[in-house]
Amino acid sequence: MPEKHDSKAAAKAKSSPKEEEVRIGAYTCYCGGNISDVVYCEKVAEALAKLPNVVVSRTDMSMCSDAGQAKIEEDIREHGVNRVVVGACAPSLHEQTFRGTVQRAGLNPFFYHHVGLREQDSWVHHDRVAATKKAIRLMSAGIAKARLLEPLEHIRLSAEKHALVIGGGIAGLRAARDISRRGLKVTLIERSPFLGGHMAQLESIFPTEEDARTVLHGLIEEVAADPNITLYTSSELTGVRGYVGDYQVQITQQSRGVDEDVAEEAMAACTLEVPDDYNYGLTQRKVIYKAYPGCYPPTPAVDWKNIPDGKLELKMNGKKIKLENKPKTIDVKVGAIVIATGFTPYEPRKGEYGYGELPEVVTMPQFIRLLAMAPKGEELVINEKPVRNIGFIHCVGSRQIDDVHEPQPDGEVNNYCSRVCCTATLHLANDLRHRFPDLNIFDVYEDIRTYGRGHEDYYIEASENRVVFLRFHGEEPPEVVASPDDDVSPVQIKLKDYLTWGEEVEVPADLIVLAVGIMPNPVDDLINLLKVSPGTDRFLLEVHPKLRPVETAVPGIVLAGTAQGPMTIQESCAAASAAAAKVSVLLSQGLVELEPYVARVDLDLCKGSGECVEVCAYEDAITLESMTIGGKEVKRAVVSPANCAGCGACVSACPNRAIDLQGWTLGQYQSMIEAIVAEIPAVEIES
Amino acid sequence: MAPRTIKVDALVVGGGIAGMQSALDLADQGYQVALVEKQPSIGGKMIELSKVFPTLDCCSCITTPKMSAVAHNSNIQLFTYCDIQSVDKQGDGRFVAQVIQKPRYVDIETCTACRQCEYACPIDLPHPFDQNLGVHRAIYVPFSTAVPQKALIDIDNCILCGKCERVCPVGCVDFTQQPEELAIEATAIVLATGFEITPTDAKAEYGGGKLLNVVNALTVERLLAPTGPYGHVLRPSDGKEPDSIAYIQCAGSRDKSLGVEYCSRICCMYAIKQSMLISGALPLADIAIYYMDIRTFGKGYDQFYQTAKAMGVQFIKGKVAKITEDENQNPIVRVELIDEGSQVVERQHDMVVLSVGMVSKYDPRTIYDVNVAGDGFVDTPLTNVSPCVTSRPGVFVSGSAAGPMDIVDSIVMAGAAAAEAAAYIQATGPNGHGGGRSIAAGEEKELAHA
Amino acid sequence: MGQESNAGEPKVLILATLSGGYAGADSVGQAHAEYATNTYILPVVCPAMFPEEFYIESFERGIDAILVMFSGTDCPYKGGAERTAQIINKVYPMMKERGIDTRRLRLVAICTVCTKPFLKEVTQVNELLDEIGHVAAEIAAGPSVQAPAS
Repeated sequence: MPEKHDSKAAAKAKSSPKEEEVRIGAYTCYCGGNISDVVYCEKVAEALAKLPNVVVSRTDMSMCSDAGQAKIEEDIREHGVNRVVVGACAPSLHEQTFRGTVQRAGLNPFFYHHVGLREQDSWVHHDRVAATKKAIRLMSAGIAKARLLEPLEHIRLSAEKHALVIGGGIAGLRAARDISRRGLKVTLIERSPFLGGHMAQLESIFPTEEDARTVLHGLIEEVAADPNITLYTSSELTGVRGYVGDYQVQITQQSRGVDEDVAEEAMAACTLEVPDDYNYGLTQRKVIYKAYPGCYPPTPAVDWKNIPDGKLELKMNGKKIKLENKPKTIDVKVGAIVIATGFTPYEPRKGEYGYGELPEVVTMPQFIRLLAMAPKGEELVINEKPVRNIGFIHCVGSRQIDDVHEPQPDGEVNNYCSRVCCTATLHLANDLRHRFPDLNIFDVYEDIRTYGRGHEDYYIEASENRVVFLRFHGEEPPEVVASPDDDVSPVQIKLKDYLTWGEEVEVPADLIVLAVGIMPNPVDDLINLLKVSPGTDRFLLEVHPKLRPVETAVPGIVLAGTAQGPMTIQESCAAASAAAAKVSVLLSQGLVELEPYVARVDLDLCKGSGECVEVCAYEDAITLESMTIGGKEVKRAVVSPANCAGCGACVSACPNRAIDLQGWTLGQYQSMIEAIVAEIPAVEIES
Repeated sequence: MAPRTIKVDALVVGGGIAGMQSALDLADQGYQVALVEKQPSIGGKMIELSKVFPTLDCCSCITTPKMSAVAHNSNIQLFTYCDIQSVDKQGDGRFVAQVIQKPRYVDIETCTACRQCEYACPIDLPHPFDQNLGVHRAIYVPFSTAVPQKALIDIDNCILCGKCERVCPVGCVDFTQQPEELAIEATAIVLATGFEITPTDAKAEYGGGKLLNVVNALTVERLLAPTGPYGHVLRPSDGKEPDSIAYIQCAGSRDKSLGVEYCSRICCMYAIKQSMLISGALPLADIAIYYMDIRTFGKGYDQFYQTAKAMGVQFIKGKVAKITEDENQNPIVRVELIDEGSQVVERQHDMVVLSVGMVSKYDPRTIYDVNVAGDGFVDTPLTNVSPCVTSRPGVFVSGSAAGPMDIVDSIVMAGAAAAEAAAYIQATGPNGHGGGRSIAAGEEKELAHA
Repeated sequence: MGQESNAGEPKVLILATLSGGYAGADSVGQAHAEYATNTYILPVVCPAMFPEEFYIESFERGIDAILVMFSGTDCPYKGGAERTAQIINKVYPMMKERGIDTRRLRLVAICTVCTKPFLKEVTQVNELLDEIGHVAAEIAAGPSVQAPAS
């Protein structure tokens, strides 16, 4: 366990640090009649004045007014009041106000307790006597708690003004730049030897028709020139310790393999070839390679993934050269971590829509690469074969249904929509239509989801421009088969078309493009290291889609881009910028401030049973640690305030009542209940 | 008299969910923020909703904490019931917005929202918050969870009887209030001005707003809300519980005749959500959704659609040509059923809900000097990598001011807009590095306890 | 009316989570809906903090019924809802052992605008208390006399 600064201090700041006399000021607000029209506020004040420790009991037309607050400040300064209880409107409205008041007068802000007399008494009762008695009881309970209030401090952890961004695709680049632009340092790590991720494999992008790599390189150049950003390619996160504000991360970097000055020469001399992942395995490349012309960093790298023993020999200028992978580790301290590990296109099973069996069936990412490599001309030629009929099939690997589709290895089907494929398909179809006017284009879909800004235009254009749409029902997906009559076309798509009576149709095709969905990159190692959680769809889980949409349940670890779910480039960048804003919120002050409502252990009572550790749902929030007490080596529970959520589950679990929740102690509740059941002080209440 | 001048780092225009989130994300970084809202309360469209997809969280439970966080954040100054007149750039590169704060005729400092005035006021007016199904008084607190919780007078409908003034325990009613001019100086501006729903009378084929039992989806939100006008789902014409309810999708979107060719993104999901909620409230009701394409594209959304199907909500692919009504004011839907050979049929329902779309509510060019796109929303020229950057340096856009989007996407975009604005302030603030409250390296700002 | 002892009135303790029941009770106030005055609402972070004995001791102190108004599945704390339910389930047999009617303790999910469910719970618990009276009598009588059916 790392040393938690402040945690020890917080643990020491326990009950009654000094035996001072408790002097309570009790204030019953009229709320301009809202309370006093029902509750006899003067009688409440009179009754409260009779309670032990209450040295001042007052009323005011409006306690929250400047005049009302001034009374409290004066009582603290002039009359030695050191605990304040105000009965007024709901605490959600003015508890913070009065904490500020007592703090201004020099008290610890947690020496304040707020009682809701309006929403929970005068506004819900008409019987004035009963409501007054209830007000006395509620205030008495508040006073009982006030007797046991302790000074608390916000938990402050110093924060490294430095973030780690995992993933050098568009989301990671965007996040890194936006964090840096706020004056924070960034360490950006990318698993492959080159930046850019999947965006580098695209050509024209919707909805702007910009060139993907031109847009991407604009951002890469900013990152490369940014003195706040340290980039490690061929690198992965291999260790992490600590907590928000102070994560110690270990990065393991594979060697680039060849010295920069001879790298080009070595690449030329290299003869060993492997499938080119940039072209989704459709072509071969050397193991000393550049991802694509113009890639960044521009220096060739050795693809050690395809060289299991980490050793490569090649002949250069007649000399034998030995290259070796010598991974090194780098330790960095960061305050927050951005996960931008991205996606991988769905890989259809062998035989799924003929994939892997019929050479005329390719995925859309593959087709984009094939098209980029195709000869220019009036006719679409793929793999040296002219294409007259092309068919697109939507929702391959998306919107899957149990018992209709085969599950993934984890037993789950991909029952989610991949969001980008509809627009991507129609964008591509329109592009084909422009370039190859005679091409027959068939689009086999379930629903067309061109939801985004400018996306519908692609659908309208395709509909008006001889793209033939056929619609299937999700329960009856289309089939791809070899054509019985090879003269017409080598393959065909068979489906029940619900745009024409549910008629069985056979669509002839020379090429079939599967609009495959998006799956998260497999990041099991990261999930284990960072203790973040994936959802049933395997994408990483946010705390709440609206309250905290880019944060994980682990403080200081945020999500950017398609690691969280299918997104377009635009949506990935928006999410990445939002993640950067969250990181700036956390780190730009140089300290992380947490509520003081956390568990604390009374070492005199703790017997080291470990029940608290067992029941705690938060990683490293409470642990058993060895320590020496009274000359004996014992195990005792230790709370890490940085990781404690303050739920109090450990309080009930402890068999020795050695744990309590700061600010909400069991003893405080017991005393409040005693006050509720007690006889109220004798006062004459008119009716 | 020179207008009161407020100097901040960022001006956020609009107090809906996107504006609140952008303001919070800027304020929590230490920047001074002015949040200006046209309405008397922040909360925007979101606070009117019942429950929200895909989690079916109670909407109030998500929105009110954000509203309260905005109100209590010491770095945010909130200006409600304000109109921005103009925005100019000064010599130092900062913007200055001329703002008119409309008179509430209630002193906001002393009002305790006790509602005595409401009880005394003799005037009932249709309440826009309840889509005019409920009423408010001429003096009223905007709604139960309004922020600020302060009354105001609808002076156009007030008869100046003075009853409110007499009954007010703190004497906060002030008929002499005048509009106040404010000048807000800011380094960056975030536009979070939101959207409007398709006007009810937009489509004559769908009754043009004249058929009582043809309602828009926002009305159904109010019918479903626990704080709603009836506390129950009832149809407006006769207060009867509807047994058969139909949703017409794309009623205002993907419709060339309305000049709205785009998809509004939210309607499929809210129709499905409302169907599920109505199924809970009226277990025996039949619910049909007439659609062109079901677009449940977000995280967890398609699963939500499958759940609704399993619950028995009928999804019918069909193009609704016309809605009329019979003598009992039951709506009659004329629809081409695509899955059944495109035959055209007429079907009677007890209530029809128009899944209305999102349209731009004003022309942002006149005040903010930013370009708009063909859809009428703020243009984002670098939309792929910088989706919140507008054509005017220093002005950023958040949420549905940049085109239709749902709450989840709005909140994410709001964070992105805050990141852009923060970076801009950092680069161009008065000190050249970081605006009025920049945090220099190593300096640890003591955070207020509030 | 002069001072009068309130001993006759049974007391209902409502432990209400800040994110759920407590905010819900405030909503009831906003709506000016009326309910019985014998209800004492205490804010709690998450009721998972209360051990089983806490409930028993509260009854022994003279609390006649306890409503735990938590946030249900919307509980902002991991496992908070499940843990609370587990604890409450363990309290019931302990109540039986002492002759306390188990209907005196209820765990209910109340959200921030759940005004109707809140009022329903308060009404129901008071109907129950009208029927079964003070807890002190049950505790005094012990388990042999009172054997709650539920």
